[in-house]
Amino acid sequence: MSYANVIRKLKALGYASPESFNPIREKEFRNMVVWLEDQKIRIYKIEERAELRKLESPHWMNSFHQYCTDVGLPITLLTTPMEQIEWLLGHASRLDYADNVEKYQSQTADSVSNSQSSVPKVVSTNPLDNLLFDSPEFKKGVASLAEKLKIRTHPDQLVTLEACCKLIAARLNEDALAHPEFVIPKGKAFPFMDTDIGFNLGDPVLNKAAKILNLLYIQDLRSLQTKINEAIVAVQNVTANPKTDTKLGKVGF
Amino acid sequence: MSEINEEDWFIPPVKYEYLDHTADVQIHAWGDSLQEAFEQCANAMYGYMTEIEYVEMKETQEIEAEGDDLLGLLFHFLDECLFLFSAEPFFIARKVQILEFDRENFKIKARGFGETFELGKHPQGTEVKAITYSNMQVHEDKNELFVIIDI
Amino acid sequence: MVVRQYNEELKYLEKISAHCWRIKKGFQPNMNVEGVFYVNDHLEKLMLDELRNACRPGMVGGFLPGVKQIANVAALPGIVGKSVGLPDVHSGYGFAIGNMAAFDIGDPKSVVSPGGVGFDINCGVRLLRTNLWEKDVLPVQERLAQSMFDHIPVGVGSKGIIPMNARDLEEALEMGMDWSLREGYIWAEDKEHCEEYGRMLSADPSKVSMRAKKRGLPQLGTLGAGNHYAEIQIVDEIYDKWAAGKMGIEDVGQVCVMIHSGSRGFGHQVATDALVQMEKAMKRDNIETNDRQLACARISSQEGQDYLKSMAAAANFAWVNRSSMTFLCRQAFAKQFNTTPDDLDMHVIYDVSHNIAKTEEHIVDGKQKTLLVHRKGSTRAFPPHHPLIPVDYQLTGQPVLIGGTMGTCSYVLTGTEKGMQETFGSTCHGAGRALSRAKSRRNLDYQEVLNKLEAQGISIRVASPKLVMEEAPESYKNVTDVVDTCHAAGISNKAIKLRPIAVIKG
Repeated sequence: MSYANVIRKLKALGYASPESFNPIREKEFRNMVVWLEDQKIRIYKIEERAELRKLESPHWMNSFHQYCTDVGLPITLLTTPMEQIEWLLGHASRLDYADNVEKYQSQTADSVSNSQSSVPKVVSTNPLDNLLFDSPEFKKGVASLAEKLKIRTHPDQLVTLEACCKLIAARLNEDALAHPEFVIPKGKAFPFMDTDIGFNLGDPVLNKAAKILNLLYIQDLRSLQTKINEAIVAVQNVTANPKTDTKLGKVGF
Repeated sequence: MSEINEEDWFIPPVKYEYLDHTADVQIHAWGDSLQEAFEQCANAMYGYMTEIEYVEMKETQEIEAEGDDLLGLLFHFLDECLFLFSAEPFFIARKVQILEFDRENFKIKARGFGETFELGKHPQGTEVKAITYSNMQVHEDKNELFVIIDI
Repeated sequence: MVVRQYNEELKYLEKISAHCWRIKKGFQPNMNVEGVFYVNDHLEKLMLDELRNACRPGMVGGFLPGVKQIANVAALPGIVGKSVGLPDVHSGYGFAIGNMAAFDIGDPKSVVSPGGVGFDINCGVRLLRTNLWEKDVLPVQERLAQSMFDHIPVGVGSKGIIPMNARDLEEALEMGMDWSLREGYIWAEDKEHCEEYGRMLSADPSKVSMRAKKRGLPQLGTLGAGNHYAEIQIVDEIYDKWAAGKMGIEDVGQVCVMIHSGSRGFGHQVATDALVQMEKAMKRDNIETNDRQLACARISSQEGQDYLKSMAAAANFAWVNRSSMTFLCRQAFAKQFNTTPDDLDMHVIYDVSHNIAKTEEHIVDGKQKTLLVHRKGSTRAFPPHHPLIPVDYQLTGQPVLIGGTMGTCSYVLTGTEKGMQETFGSTCHGAGRALSRAKSRRNLDYQEVLNKLEAQGISIRVASPKLVMEEAPESYKNVTDVVDTCHAAGISNKAIKLRPIAVIKG
């Protein structure tokens, strides 16, 4: 918990001059407690707040402890003025929110940052930023790109675009075009659809789907195994020191 | 290791043979006494590992074994002989002589006369993996015995 | 053993399909489940001949015929499913070699048997590929064979050339191929293409005797003798183009390297020690078996647990051993072709264990159960989509490596769903002996065998001439018969056939 946190909460609650507040100063602390009870928490009726308002009273701390008990502040755990004020601010914020649920619900991080006029508007130089991803033109464009790349389209044009992007990045980059033999797997593809998957779901479509999932799973396993092998090799670089000593045994004669 | 004396140079006659057996080898050994049959059996095993004539009697090794019965005694006696060959001192015997043959308590003290097995000097025969109890027979009346060694 | 006339015995056997026979209860006493074995016409004859011979009066053979051994295993406590004999089955110590049996871990009476694993714990086969073609190696074939022979210590009494002390050994026993990785002998991808990822986590080196460790230390990184070998092989035929593609095998003529080895003296001693312990445990727990060789202990007993933990340590030893030889093979090739193993694309296609017991999940009578599956001379063959096989083989099924014998072909198969159901995902392991060693020594001539290999264009380097006769192709069942039977029975599919051009043996 920090002082900045306190100031942010005070701001949110509409306190007049949050930056100048310092809970260490006893007077300010007492004032704040009264302000929070008067404006936000309102657990006591107005006449019950009298004792708390006697800011100069030598018994003020007793009244405050009673108040803590009534409001539910765990005073045995939160012993410093800072901690106590933070708790009260948090409590007040929750009550404030509960009173105005509808108003605050629309205040998401996005909408807040949009409405903040202080953020400088950067003019994007990326042409893609200006595209309307839902426009029919965009959809048509993705579809024709996919057709050129022989990629089957997905109902969501963004998924199709992602697939196109994967293919282009892996197979149509400069290196790959210069040395296709490094990226294109050699030999014939494994006739996966002809193999026995070991079980039958009773529906050819389901079976096909299961096979595809199985293949994806195997691909995952392969990349995991490759990572394991890489880890072993990394360790080997530290530990390995193979030796042979032909003096030990007479080999061949 | 004890001194090799004049009389130790005597090479006993061969009183053993290798019998037919599918995967392994059955040793049939005999003698004028059961003690001699035991000695012959050990000789037969060493004989399967190399061509025994190439082995010189340069040193001796003491062999001690005991068992719960005669079969157990034979088993452990041969196992000790095999162990001498398979590990330090890699000893191969030209002949094995039993010094004490206690048929009451099933104990043997024996001495092997031979040398360290050396590639290039000793032709490699077949490796003996283990001694087995398989169809092991000790005929006390006829002083002959049968042992199958696992190859 | 129940003594009956051969014709009487046959009444307990029933041919249930072109490649499968059923062994009915009663063939041997106390059978808890039925037995089954897979054969084709040729192997069927060998199998039944063995039984007929054993039925002759006055037979005092060392081992029971394989079919009787399968039935005796069916009588062990806690066995579920069937006691399965694979096409390469032949009689062995207790269990037949080529025998699979699974025990329900949930059943307190269930047993573990060292005889169901074998003396050479985690004996197995590893296959490396290269990007070389036959035309690249033919001109240097002899030199390459010699270079492999110079790099890999083989045969009786050979010692490893990778420096190891007792502490290294302890760590290797615990870590398996992770040790080889840490020390830099192998590649990260090697581990990926290995059963159990090259490490049994249950290994506990403290359960292993000093004796076993002493035998193991000098032998780590050695090929051994017997039927073990390292071969340079050429892809001869591709049956399943897609599966082969997944393994990095593009076409006929590609060069591969096969390593067949196990846990050496270490594993042998672990097995020997366990058998002695279990003899005692059987008396204590009143476990009755049909054959004294089927020494076993309850899985939950101290002896059972100790064996499983030390067996796992021996399995780790074997993986480190094969990994060390992988390292040496890569060195040999890199030197010969004056390049790096990386540039030769010498990746491990797969590494199988064909002498092992493993905890696995299987469906028994419609229910999922945790089983202890013993495979002795039998290879795991899991189907496509099984979670325990590497991601690269998820669609093809687990590669199953079937090593031939000196001079004969080897195969790569893949696991199937049918095999998963019928044999708990198990298939054959190799050729399986047909002639006894002594008979081979008597009937075959060393020079003749070598000449024959030479005529086939195979370079051979062997430490022991006697072994050449014992291991001659004539001494074994025809591996093609064995593999074809597995394929026809549907318990695994043929993918690739390999033929050797250089053999390095003990």
